[in-house]
Amino acid sequence: MLKDADSAVPVACWSCSVQHDEVTMFCPHCGKIQPPPGGDYFSVFGMEPRLNLDLAALEGEFHRLSRRLHPDRFARATECEREWSLADTALLNDAYRTLKDGLRRTEYVLTLHGAGNGTHIGSGFETQIAEEQNGKERQNASRAPADLLEEVFDLNMQLEEMRLRRQSGNVDRQSGKVNRELIEDLRAAKRKFETLREEVDRDLRGAWNDWDGGAADTRRRAQTNLRTLLDRRRYLSNLVRDVSEALGE
Amino acid sequence: MAYSDKVVDHYNNPRNVGTLDKSSTEVGTGLVGAPECGDVMRLQIRVNPETQVIEEAKFKTFGCGSAIASSSLATEWIKGRTVEDALAIKNTDIVKELSLPPVKIHCSVLAEDAIRAAIGDWKKKNGAAEAAAAAASAQ
Repeated sequence: MLKDADSAVPVACWSCSVQHDEVTMFCPHCGKIQPPPGGDYFSVFGMEPRLNLDLAALEGEFHRLSRRLHPDRFARATECEREWSLADTALLNDAYRTLKDGLRRTEYVLTLHGAGNGTHIGSGFETQIAEEQNGKERQNASRAPADLLEEVFDLNMQLEEMRLRRQSGNVDRQSGKVNRELIEDLRAAKRKFETLREEVDRDLRGAWNDWDGGAADTRRRAQTNLRTLLDRRRYLSNLVRDVSEALGE
Repeated sequence: MAYSDKVVDHYNNPRNVGTLDKSSTEVGTGLVGAPECGDVMRLQIRVNPETQVIEEAKFKTFGCGSAIASSSLATEWIKGRTVEDALAIKNTDIVKELSLPPVKIHCSVLAEDAIRAAIGDWKKKNGAAEAAAAAASAQ
């Protein structure tokens, strides 16, 4: 399970024994390194969970913490501190990789709020998801809305037909014309899928705003919306990939 | 990842690929998908209205080898069974038969869901048809 973003429980520093309730890799009192803190990936960077994230601030904080956690700084430290510097670095890297990418960040926020789907992304929380996956598999398998499935199925059928025509066109080589038409069709299909994907990305950004600014109700609706959009985007990305392959790109 | 021989066999020689007439009252269509891997699976059955036996089953799947093999196997298994018998097929039976690894279990779930969806569609059509017939005879 992911740890809840519950940092209210005070932690005592192993070195100076002063209690604090911050999610931090360094004691706010004596500055000594701490074992990997609980809390979510956002709190690693001292940030509030937001989908519209200040990426410059994220990167700055990542570099600052990376330098502070660098193993060279712990060459003369105790064995515990050396281990924590490695464990903290691993957590920091997972958190950064997940949060800097808009799609992974969205997936992560949905996972935190129980609307994830166990997609294979990132590394850190992926293993935790894998453990839960078997139980969730059942309800997740065919969760996609019917109209999306119809659309994706039809698009796949069209794509397959074009691909087959292209293959047979290559075999009989009767004229370059047929082939050119097919390639044009495939290119048009690719543009269409890419345009649809761009629309999804625009809608995703809209849903980000709803989630960031909304009250609990709006937020729940935004989560449902985000889940649908991510699913749709995955299908569209597969179609773009398949049509690119058919074009030999 | 290595596929089992049975998966490779179904992938290379898929059984019962095709389409049945969606508008026929004897035909049930199930369309399901797994967004996590982008698979879509359509499974269709034609049921004998007298005996309730599934006389024909067709599928068309866009997805990985395991998804294709799972749906291909599903059509093989449901053909010749009654509708009720077909509902007894569990995804774990498919996992066992095809030796699917844990990351591909969702493909078998999808195939089971496709069977249920196709039968559900057929029942809905025929429930409606029976109700219409009953209404007509009552008049």
